[in-house]
Amino acid sequence: MATTVHMEALSPTMEEGRLVKWTKQEGDAVKTGETLAEVETDKAVMELVARADGSLVKILVPEGKTVPVGAAVAYIGAPGESIPDAGGKPASASTGMRDAGSVKPAPAATLPASATPQPVAPTDAARVKASPLARRLAREAGVDLRLVTGSGPGGRVTRRDLEGVAAPAPSPAPPAAAAPTHPASPIPHPPSGGAAFEDIPLTQIRKTIARRLVTSLGPIPHFFLTTEVDMERAAEARAALNKELGDQGKVSFNDIIVKATALALTRHRACNAWFQEDHIRYWNEVHLGMAVAVEDGLITPVVRNADQKSLSQISVEARALADKARHRQLKPDEYTGATFSVSNLGMFDIDQFTAVINPPEAGILAVGTVVEKPVVVEGQVVPRKRLRLTMSCDHRVIDGATGAAFLKTLKQMLENPLAMLL
Amino acid sequence: MSERVLEVIHAGRVPYGEALEWQRRLAQDRIAGRLAHDVLLLLEHPPVITLGRNSHAEHVLADGAGIEVFEIERGGDVTYHGPGQLVGYPIIDLTHHRQDLHWYLRTLEQALIDALARLGVAAERHPGYTGVWTGGGKRKIASIGVHVKQWVTWHGFALNVTTDLTAFDRIVPCGIAGVEMTSVEKERGTVKGEGALWDETVRAVIQGFESAFNLTARQEPVTTSA
Repeated sequence: MATTVHMEALSPTMEEGRLVKWTKQEGDAVKTGETLAEVETDKAVMELVARADGSLVKILVPEGKTVPVGAAVAYIGAPGESIPDAGGKPASASTGMRDAGSVKPAPAATLPASATPQPVAPTDAARVKASPLARRLAREAGVDLRLVTGSGPGGRVTRRDLEGVAAPAPSPAPPAAAAPTHPASPIPHPPSGGAAFEDIPLTQIRKTIARRLVTSLGPIPHFFLTTEVDMERAAEARAALNKELGDQGKVSFNDIIVKATALALTRHRACNAWFQEDHIRYWNEVHLGMAVAVEDGLITPVVRNADQKSLSQISVEARALADKARHRQLKPDEYTGATFSVSNLGMFDIDQFTAVINPPEAGILAVGTVVEKPVVVEGQVVPRKRLRLTMSCDHRVIDGATGAAFLKTLKQMLENPLAMLL
Repeated sequence: MSERVLEVIHAGRVPYGEALEWQRRLAQDRIAGRLAHDVLLLLEHPPVITLGRNSHAEHVLADGAGIEVFEIERGGDVTYHGPGQLVGYPIIDLTHHRQDLHWYLRTLEQALIDALARLGVAAERHPGYTGVWTGGGKRKIASIGVHVKQWVTWHGFALNVTTDLTAFDRIVPCGIAGVEMTSVEKERGTVKGEGALWDETVRAVIQGFESAFNLTARQEPVTTSA
């Protein structure tokens, strides 16, 4: 059986590594302790060494690619040995992890074989490993132990695993009849009447989001300012620009908003700031974070010096960053260091919302969708393209009037895009 | 006082390729257990541009103009080394400290921040940008790039003491466009004998390492014989 080589974690805070160089090629003989590849994280390169003797039968990750910690990157086996395919199961006993204690489990989707759910043999409830207390509680609550994921040693079900697990829907039948006569489905697809919920361990990104957002909404005294902007002229400008650009790209409303926000920040430095423990850092540069939805979360890549970039530069860069974000290829310096952020849910038809500040930044702009609606202009009801912007402010840095003045400048710029040239 | 020893080797001015060989050999010895202590190699390089594993060729702006260019196995992008820059290569076995690469990078930064504080220069981290910065993350005073094999480190840091900062114009340091490089001399703004400032910086860096890594320095005169 071939041995899987995994991306190792050399720090509990390491989430992914970039495979920069293979020092062995497919077909090369390798010995335990020999360097197979170099991996980079942050400003450090580490050597990935073989944990088994044999031949490097298959390289799974090309040079330059970033993969999460725990992902399979290669197989070591006897020359010519077949490697585990999607149906097989890679050897897990002799993985490449040197220090299991500091290694995070791989996200399930990245391991080729773990896509196949662990089959749960349809055993009798009595044969499920469980503590006596858990067994009694389960019996009393009418919970089928086979449907409970055990968190104890060897998958043993403990009392904690049962807390919150609902009993099957009450049925008029006496409890005895509730005992299942058919083998239950494996855990991934519980039948109705099984556990009321499924516990999915937090992925790294969800943990990070949880930690960061709790440190935001809790301790940061947020307040919110909303304004409605007329986007008629911005829409005209955009149409004209895109016509001009032809097939050299497209400028989106979001690009215009990013540019206008950056310019408005240069005139309202008070909103372009970080709250730090004992001081406020007012930035002279504008680095705009742009919230991007990725699978299972969001990340905020940064358009640096956005105030100094042209709309087409912003457009190209924003697209490239969003793309990298979705493929988890952002480097730390591409998602850190923002001085202010913009979150846009316009594409989801959200008219207006409030966003949570990304500390230490002092503000974030929530952008809704551009809606055509009737508006009174000079005594006439006319259809106009309108956009609602909501700014979340950290009151420790920004006061109401300060935030309002910034929003007013932003509104003026969007309503009269030529003002951006001033 | 810690009982663990940090052997400090003052190597003087050493060509890059030679220093690289020393490091690799010392690291191999540390991995194999032939070297009982952690080592800090302190030296200076003749002008050289090095490309880390994350290098982008476009970050070398001008051609070398007679300057050697090395492509090496440390992390990070392109950097410049030259006279007036204190280069430190810690050969540290992390199994005796903490088996955590990020901890190591942050502690390396801490050692330099402590050292700079002793020199009267307020320096700090710039989250997301490994290295040591001044002016609220605007100016970079020390670059960091490391390599780890079986928890033993090599490569390390480059701290500008009296470096000719215009030399950095040839590159985009660390791949971050628009970074302003600075030096101890520039930050202090005081004119003092170059040699005195160098010696003071070396002392401060050793003290910084002692406190950050909880080690006791033992200074060894450099052996020039092979």
